Amino acid sequence: MIFNSLVFLVFVLCFFSVYFFLKGRLRLGWILVASYVFYGWWDWRFLALIIFTTLMDYLFGIYLEDTHAPRQKKQVIIASVVMNLGFLSIFKYFNFFAASAAAALQYVGMEASWTTLHIILPVGISFYTFQSMSYTIEIYRGEMKAERDLLKYATFVGFWPQLMAGPIVRAKDLLPQFHVERPFEWDRFYSGMGRVLWGFFKKCAIADSLGPFADQCFQAPETFGSLHLLIGVVFYSFQIYCDFSGYSDIAIGMARIMGYRFPENFRSPYFSSSFSEFWTRWHISLSSWLRDYLYIPLGGNRHGVYMTYRNNMITMLLGGLWHGANWAFVFWGFLHGLYLILQRFVAPRWDWVVRVLRLPRIVDKGVAIAVVYSLTLLAWVYFRAGSMGAHSFTTANAVLSGIFSGRHFAWWAVINKFQVLKGFLLIGLLYGVELSNAWVNWNVVQVHRPALRLAVFAVLLWFIAFFGTFGANAFIYFQF
Amino acid sequence: MKQLGWFLLLLGTVLAGDRAGGYVLQQQVAQSQFRYARLYGGQAAADILLVGNSRGLIFYEPYIEEKSGLKTFNLSYNGLPMDAACALAEDYLDRYPAPRLMLIELTTCDRTNDALLAGFLTFSGQSARLDALIREKSVENWRTGQLSALYRYNNELFQRAIFHRKKTDKDWLLDREIDPELAAKVLENNYPLEVHPYLLEQLRALVAYAQKKGVVVKLVISPYFPRFTVTHLDDLKAEATRLTGLPVYDYRNALSDPALFGDFMHLNKAGAVEYLNLLRTDGVLP
Repeated sequence: MIFNSLVFLVFVLCFFSVYFFLKGRLRLGWILVASYVFYGWWDWRFLALIIFTTLMDYLFGIYLEDTHAPRQKKQVIIASVVMNLGFLSIFKYFNFFAASAAAALQYVGMEASWTTLHIILPVGISFYTFQSMSYTIEIYRGEMKAERDLLKYATFVGFWPQLMAGPIVRAKDLLPQFHVERPFEWDRFYSGMGRVLWGFFKKCAIADSLGPFADQCFQAPETFGSLHLLIGVVFYSFQIYCDFSGYSDIAIGMARIMGYRFPENFRSPYFSSSFSEFWTRWHISLSSWLRDYLYIPLGGNRHGVYMTYRNNMITMLLGGLWHGANWAFVFWGFLHGLYLILQRFVAPRWDWVVRVLRLPRIVDKGVAIAVVYSLTLLAWVYFRAGSMGAHSFTTANAVLSGIFSGRHFAWWAVINKFQVLKGFLLIGLLYGVELSNAWVNWNVVQVHRPALRLAVFAVLLWFIAFFGTFGANAFIYFQF
Repeated sequence: MKQLGWFLLLLGTVLAGDRAGGYVLQQQVAQSQFRYARLYGGQAAADILLVGNSRGLIFYEPYIEEKSGLKTFNLSYNGLPMDAACALAEDYLDRYPAPRLMLIELTTCDRTNDALLAGFLTFSGQSARLDALIREKSVENWRTGQLSALYRYNNELFQRAIFHRKKTDKDWLLDREIDPELAAKVLENNYPLEVHPYLLEQLRALVAYAQKKGVVVKLVISPYFPRFTVTHLDDLKAEATRLTGLPVYDYRNALSDPALFGDFMHLNKAGAVEYLNLLRTDGVLP
């Protein structure tokens, strides 16, 4: 079930019409049933997988807490990680690794003739697997207690607002919230509603309006001029941002209405003036997960410069692979790893230039933001092409060579100019709102100023009607 | 109770704002020089009615008017399918004196385009035919349009209407030459034309309706880029003749100079002039 569909509207109405009349375990049970309906709507067969993962990690958690022998603890945590990553590998990466191995063998002159399996990728598996894994790892590290109540644990794993595409909420953040009764509060309701509407605006109006133009560029890059392709790539960067952060906004808003608090997942990432800052603003729940469970255990920045570079690169490569079973995603991760490493060389020198030339702060920041955005854009080309199967690198390279060729870098050569104008208008609106966050606390406005809240909600609804695309387009991150 | 009042106020504000916004936008569209705004605004009376998809845009109105001394009106639009063309043309025939000639680009029967149909919500308030067509072919968009007046202006047709608010769209034509690199790859490219019984039936109905009103109808296939392959064009031609009883004036290979084309499927302005001269020489156009 996707948020921007009529079915979801019916689901939400049914869910909330019962939810606030229930208390305690009945309410949790209702969330769990609703979560499984929400998930099973896509393909009920995969409910067995999520239930199995839930049960196993629930038992692993209890066993980890009850066992005091370090060796046994280690065996249990390994079993949990192997199980979770095993499912992820089978469903998401089996064909990819099989095909890659066959290609590698063929390259050295050997024939590999094993067949690939017809495997459907269960929606949201990358998200709930990481969420479930973080639970057992934290118990192993002694950072949290095991949850003895299966209902609470199952609700944590299957919690419908973030089940399909995050944010990846840590067990220690969400599970304790299930221990406290959450009565209905108007403040939370208004705040949540505002967030949901903003998410729908980002998804339906911005992302889905920019999508067709970007898709066209990647489907036949050789038929377009360089300005057209450049606009297509810029549009894609905002499409993926608004698609994914729109989903997060809706999830955060829905959870807030229910009385639960999710961590922020995005903070205006395209205003980042360094790549390390970018990763504290983009998909925060994944980057912090990778930092805590991969980068720091690898040694982080504690073992000298070269080990730091190595750890950066490994983390980003695996972060890339997490997004999809294609080498283009890995290359996207590689580029970001490279950016993080290069930044360590370039940043001090740039600071020196700024000092010597006495550049004003606005120029310093502006240049840095422009450079970070441009390089992020370059990486997005490979990321977008990653979902195009075997031709991903060919497509990405065709798009980039089309842009850098400078051929037909002219407004007349841009096709669908009306889409372009609408796209830039919407991007301008988005930037306007994000910039306004520096002066206006929209959450406070929504909660404490009824007249302004009315205006904000009405304007958002009008904008969704006037700019929205209502084809029930799935969220991009569902495929990850 | 206070909260309920607030919700009712929100609902009222949203609905009132939506309707008021829709009204304001409708007023803007009504003042536009865009073709469909003129059609439904009573400013489209013509001697020659031109119908087509993007290939119909090469019926370059200023040149036809200059050479024939007759008024023209072009209903063509990018990707316009024959069902929408039929609704628009029949609306024209109901609202204006019968034109002397209706020229139809046959490849408008190529494929359906339900996504474009939703764009006609902007004009569906003035056309029962368009309204019924959108309701039949794109019911979700039709329902959303009923719910929200603003949604009816959430499309490219509205944007074009605003763009042409104070300037004519009669000279809407490609004004560039095909990229030589692309032209060199002509044999690697082709266009798989579709023969749609539903759209051909729409064509038959439109021709019959126009003929009943005393309009002379002519079917043409405009030029394609030299050596560019379009499959099933002969099938389309044969079916059109069988259903309408009209001959098809086939100009697919009539122009061989690459400089006359904007791309494989469309003539540019220079090409349009050459093509219209041919149509005049052959008596297809007065």
